[in-house]
Amino acid sequence: MSDIAIAEVGAADGSENSRQADWVPIHFDLRDTWFPVAFSADIGTQAVRRIVHAQPYYLWRDRGRLRAAEFRPDQLEPLRRSATAFTGGTGHYPVTERYGYVWAWYGNSDNADLALNPCIPFLPVDGSKIPRYTQRTVRFDAASPLSVENLIDLTHADFLHANAIGDGRCESDIVEVQSTSETVTRTRIVTRKSVAPVMRWIGGVRAKYQDLRAVLHVHLRNNLAISYPSFSSGYAIPNVQPFVPVGRHRSRVDQTNYTVAAPAPFRWLMPRISYVIQPQDNAVLRPQNERYFDADGRRDLSSRFDAPGNRYRLLMRRLAERQRQGDFSYAADANPSADISVVLGMNG
Amino acid sequence: MGDGQWWAVSLTEAVGNNKPLSVVCEGEELVLFRNAAGRAFALEDRCPHRRVPLSPGVLTPGGLQCPYHGWTFDGASGVCREIPNLHADERVPSRHAARAFLVAEADGFIHVWRGSGAPTGVLPSAAYRPIGREYSGSAVVNIVHGTYLETMLDGPECLLAFPGVTITDFFLGDPRREGEHLVLDRGGVWKGKGIGPAFVRDHPLVLRTRVPLAGGAIFVELLTAAEVPLVTIFIASTANRRGTTSLNWRGFRHAHHAPGAPFAWRLRRTAGRAPFEVLPEVKGKSIAALRVAPSLELATSRMRQGAECRGEHNE
Repeated sequence: MSDIAIAEVGAADGSENSRQADWVPIHFDLRDTWFPVAFSADIGTQAVRRIVHAQPYYLWRDRGRLRAAEFRPDQLEPLRRSATAFTGGTGHYPVTERYGYVWAWYGNSDNADLALNPCIPFLPVDGSKIPRYTQRTVRFDAASPLSVENLIDLTHADFLHANAIGDGRCESDIVEVQSTSETVTRTRIVTRKSVAPVMRWIGGVRAKYQDLRAVLHVHLRNNLAISYPSFSSGYAIPNVQPFVPVGRHRSRVDQTNYTVAAPAPFRWLMPRISYVIQPQDNAVLRPQNERYFDADGRRDLSSRFDAPGNRYRLLMRRLAERQRQGDFSYAADANPSADISVVLGMNG
Repeated sequence: MGDGQWWAVSLTEAVGNNKPLSVVCEGEELVLFRNAAGRAFALEDRCPHRRVPLSPGVLTPGGLQCPYHGWTFDGASGVCREIPNLHADERVPSRHAARAFLVAEADGFIHVWRGSGAPTGVLPSAAYRPIGREYSGSAVVNIVHGTYLETMLDGPECLLAFPGVTITDFFLGDPRREGEHLVLDRGGVWKGKGIGPAFVRDHPLVLRTRVPLAGGAIFVELLTAAEVPLVTIFIASTANRRGTTSLNWRGFRHAHHAPGAPFAWRLRRTAGRAPFEVLPEVKGKSIAALRVAPSLELATSRMRQGAECRGEHNE
């Protein structure tokens, strides 16, 4: 059984410590967390392979029982002796199913605790009745933290996504950021914004303007983004975007756009907007990610509009530093499974 | 005094005032663009805000606007002139800037100065003086820049073609140093004349290649045996990414009569067809088969040139 080596995974060249002063999203490898590695509906008797950071996860059902292992089912016994500390030497990861996802533990398996499984208040816990049309898989050409930062960042939408999301014209636009040691919550309140094209042309919103209250709640360890944007006129489009790190260059997102309360055909088509947005983001993320491997020492510049993203950067660095010191515990202000309905503004 | 070099990185006509152009010079990604008055600028193709390329951005009266968050950079200084949605009384810090490069536009090329200190020396294209109709082009070839330069001495027939002409591998002497270049002549024959180059008593044509000891300015001339120029080509070369080489070239046919030229050569001339081709793809097998010969002199000449430069600096 091999140990979980943080420094080795973080930076193959051992340069991680020297780069702590700057934001290096490719080097974050946070442990002891549940990753939603697959949609439950995607896992059957045939094993599928998923990657979290550099760790393989084979998922399948054995006579109805969900299994998650380091090796393919047919290789599990012969290779069990080389199992890592991620599975406590057993070859099997702690695994559970909630909200339509398969959640697998990443870290010290002794610390796996269902009480650390995040709460997604708008999805049924048992995953029942989540329509497949709400579930889409997209892939981002960047490390997970960089993809999350892109999601937190609001100002790029006016330039990259104006054709889908709309321009930035509005009467007022207020952004607030709150955080704990494990989460960042960004709340955006926009009044009298021009209606998003997708909502006007597919959603049937005929008003000239709409108000928006959008809350984004990000869990730092597993890059899980839970979002509750509510439009008036319009609808709420609650969604989950788990940015599962697939190495240092890519991330996979099995996203749920829970549009069941919106009218047809909007509720069917809206989840597919990811296929429009994602290539636009990838056009900038792909070269951006490569440049975080450069060792030229130049730090990113920022404006005040980068405050939410910079808060995220700071918290990620703090958490990574704490784990580097060997502390994988959750601080007193952290409770991933707490009900966040109020935080998301679901109750109006 | 610092070190540096002018590089011709683009054809003039490749950079318009409605869209930026991404180029690579010595492995570094640059973006070229013009303002409304037509002045050309060069910035590092990297936004200092979040590192994304600037080249997919938009040209505005204030400069080049990053496609990601809309920061706008002044072409001459690289200073960020605008961040969208700032209040009127907010100023962008002066250190918010992209790296800017000095630009010189001449002879149909856009040149950038890479290096420390003030620019020195003449532009790479300065010796190129076209007379008559020009033929130009650009390509990225699948060969390391240094090997491209060596091949231009050892086997230019792998990199160039002159319709109606066979370039031989018989060198007319050893490479000689002329200024900043190593120069080599080799024989050439007209195609369709006689039974082949091996049976020619004297080559009716000469191919002269000038390979730079520093930088990427290559000059090629096709001459008659009497050294009357028939074709002149200037090839601006530089290292692109991943072991490739960027090429930008211009060339022209001289008005001189080519004695003994076959009918096909004269017909192409009448039809206005290009008298040369800079090959946009190189054949690895041909280059691998080339014997290292005149290019052996390159390393020696570069060392000598380096010593000369150091000697000048010490004076």
